[in-house]
Amino acid sequence: MNSSTVEASKLSKAFGNKQVLQDMSFGVSPGDVIGVLGKNGAGKTTLLELMLGFTPPTGGAVRIFGHESYSLPGSIKARVGFVPQQDELLDQLTVADQLRVIASFYPRWDSALITRLCEEWGVNLYARIKSMSVGERQKLSILLAFGHRPELLILDEPVASLDPIARRQFLEQLLSISADGERSIVFSSHIVSDIERLANRIWILKEGRLDWQGDLDSLKESIVRLHIRGAGAELPAMAIPGVLSLQRDGAFATAVVRDWTPEVQDALEKSASVQIEVEALGLEEIFVELHR
Amino acid sequence: MKAVARLVWTYFTGTLVSRVFTSGGLILMTVDFCILITQPRSGEKLWLAMLGIIIFFVGSSLMPLMFGRLARGHSAGVLPGGRFKLLLSAYITILLVAIPVGVLAPAGTLSGDSSIPELMKDPRIRDYVLQLVGIVFTSAVLFAGWMYLAMWFVTSQRNMAGLFKGLLVITLVIFAPAREIRDLTVSLTWNLQQIAVIWSVFGAGFLLWPRFKAARARRNRERFTGVARALAGKTAGREFDVMLGTSNPLLLLVALAFPLLVATRFVGEFPAVWLYFLTFCCVLTGAYSSLAAERSRALWLRGDWSRSALFASVERSVWRHNSVVLGVLLLAMVGIGEYAHFSARMLLASLPLLALGTLLSTYLGLMITRGLRWLEIGYAIAVMLMLLFMVRLVARENADLGNVFALELGLVALAFLLRFIARRRWTQIDWMMCRSGRLVAARDA
Amino acid sequence: MFILNPQSGIPIYRQILEQVRRMVASGQLPPGTALPSVRDLALRHTINPMTISRAYSILETEGLLERHRGRPMTVASQARNHSQLPKRLQQIGPLVEQTVMAAKQLQLTEAELVKTVRREWEQNDE
Repeated sequence: MNSSTVEASKLSKAFGNKQVLQDMSFGVSPGDVIGVLGKNGAGKTTLLELMLGFTPPTGGAVRIFGHESYSLPGSIKARVGFVPQQDELLDQLTVADQLRVIASFYPRWDSALITRLCEEWGVNLYARIKSMSVGERQKLSILLAFGHRPELLILDEPVASLDPIARRQFLEQLLSISADGERSIVFSSHIVSDIERLANRIWILKEGRLDWQGDLDSLKESIVRLHIRGAGAELPAMAIPGVLSLQRDGAFATAVVRDWTPEVQDALEKSASVQIEVEALGLEEIFVELHR
Repeated sequence: MKAVARLVWTYFTGTLVSRVFTSGGLILMTVDFCILITQPRSGEKLWLAMLGIIIFFVGSSLMPLMFGRLARGHSAGVLPGGRFKLLLSAYITILLVAIPVGVLAPAGTLSGDSSIPELMKDPRIRDYVLQLVGIVFTSAVLFAGWMYLAMWFVTSQRNMAGLFKGLLVITLVIFAPAREIRDLTVSLTWNLQQIAVIWSVFGAGFLLWPRFKAARARRNRERFTGVARALAGKTAGREFDVMLGTSNPLLLLVALAFPLLVATRFVGEFPAVWLYFLTFCCVLTGAYSSLAAERSRALWLRGDWSRSALFASVERSVWRHNSVVLGVLLLAMVGIGEYAHFSARMLLASLPLLALGTLLSTYLGLMITRGLRWLEIGYAIAVMLMLLFMVRLVARENADLGNVFALELGLVALAFLLRFIARRRWTQIDWMMCRSGRLVAARDA
Repeated sequence: MFILNPQSGIPIYRQILEQVRRMVASGQLPPGTALPSVRDLALRHTINPMTISRAYSILETEGLLERHRGRPMTVASQARNHSQLPKRLQQIGPLVEQTVMAAKQLQLTEAELVKTVRREWEQNDE
């Protein structure tokens, strides 16, 4: 895997004596769309802000395009876009002014794209920011990160305040950004259905560690629910590898397992003389099961 | 013209409240006029007239509100000569409100004297009376104009900036004419000149405003759609300042102006004013600079700054802002020195103190990169106490200038120390810890 | 053309695989039909194009789809036949079973049997 876009090894972060992230190693390749899932307090924002150098790591290192995040040079910063969880808009400006101010910091700014998106997304160029709703502010924050056509786009809960139509428009735009296969996107969201559409890789953050890191497809094939039926009246005791949860009910059992493969199924069926039916789980179910 | 008349009529009678006030005021004034010209002169009757005038004025208070709304709305632009008619209606209202003053004041001054009709036959006395009427009338026009302007600010902006602007105008209006009257510099020609200038400037500005706005919007659109920007990573000064919040020193100055004016009027005695000045400029400029760390977060990814280069740029930007405020305050200090007759040596000792206050508070503010903790509060209190001590020292008439300057130099050294600490903190700034609220959010995310 | 459910436990690429295989087998997608491009499909369903191109690649390896430079992928002309592969294998099954049983009775090794089959295959080609 070409980890040239972002690369982290044994990254950890503590605030005082509270350890937020530990021992995280991951990579982002060009063309990746990575969905970051995790409970509140799992460290998603900390992870994203560490990646961008807003805060120094307490252990390990993280690099963007080969440069250490904490001391990114200007040439790399111009290739990165960020949508923070709390917007950084200036209330007293109009939308057009805010766009102009941010545009002035970049040597290349695609005004045509921004104008078109403002029209498509219904952002009023001449509205004053302090009079805008939360959704409109979020749309503007997203636009501010698109204008300089970054190669790495990092978004922290970018659609939390958007209605389904606005979310769909945003997803479509992200898709067309990543379509060329050269740009990478990392975004954290609670809206699992959006991640299922958009991401090809998933990071699941649990208690400060990367509980899962891999393809979305593999994830769905690897974490499944088993419906087990025994021959007799009572199901024999079995050692189920990678079990996350197990419920017995006489001759039946339901188990959610991880790292599932057909070989494991064969082995289990033979060793315990049971019949196993595999149920695939959606991402939201997988997330819930992983946190039981 | 009918539209203008209807507008003016609505200003005075548009709502039930304004109808009540207008008619009540008119009745009072008429009654008092009759009393004034038939009864012997007396002070109380003048008060009744004043009351009538004030009530009448309040009855017309719809004018600034409607003026603002209509000016901003579409109708003014769509109707033929809409803006001009609106302007005319405002001017006519001002004149209407001033007329009773021009009538009642001389009536009050000349009333009750049976020899008046005889005296009036004398051309010189007639001229004098006419002059008086003219002066009172034009002063009332000016005063009413300013009051309406203040009301327009307060009602149309509906935020702190508008309130301050309105209060500022009111304060100026109350104090400036008072001074004129005291120094007897008021004259008919001067009033007429003021009216001519102010009304033409306001009128021109008001009428040309839509054209100006259209030009600005067009300019925005042109700059916005398509011209490639040839900036190479660094920024032109202004945008940086806008992001940091240091682009507009006027906001801070306006916030300072009103209490300053109140202080000079009512406090008067200089040690108190001093304290006020210094405390104010310290707290406010320091508070302004303390926002820099938080707001610089949005700048981290936008430009080719390392953290230490960012500190240098932020420092420059903060000084671009604070030096303007300091300059104005120094001028104000000199002005107040004139007004309150400070001695030259006191002025000499005090001006550096103002600069020091700003210097120290600026760097105190810049030191706040991890939210306001007890340590920073402690620093701030210590610096404030030092400054207050200096103020008391300088305010004493027999202050030894040598001592004062030595202590001031000490404070300069302290400022350098604070700068050193601020710069070191900025080279390690951690934006997840910048705001206490943010720290909580960081822990939870 | 496809009914895709991103929320399903079945990965999207697998959904495409199954639907294409079914439609080709049933004749809904005759050979030569052009399939929507990866980008079109991604935008229409608002899903990641990588999962679609993975499905297309697998189908190409299976021989169901043909790639053309500059043009969209089409259903391969051999597709109909290929989709019947399991059935055809099933048909030859009994014969193979017989051959294997006979070879074992004659105490031939697997390698020797395979060699014989291969020789026969090559001779038949001539």
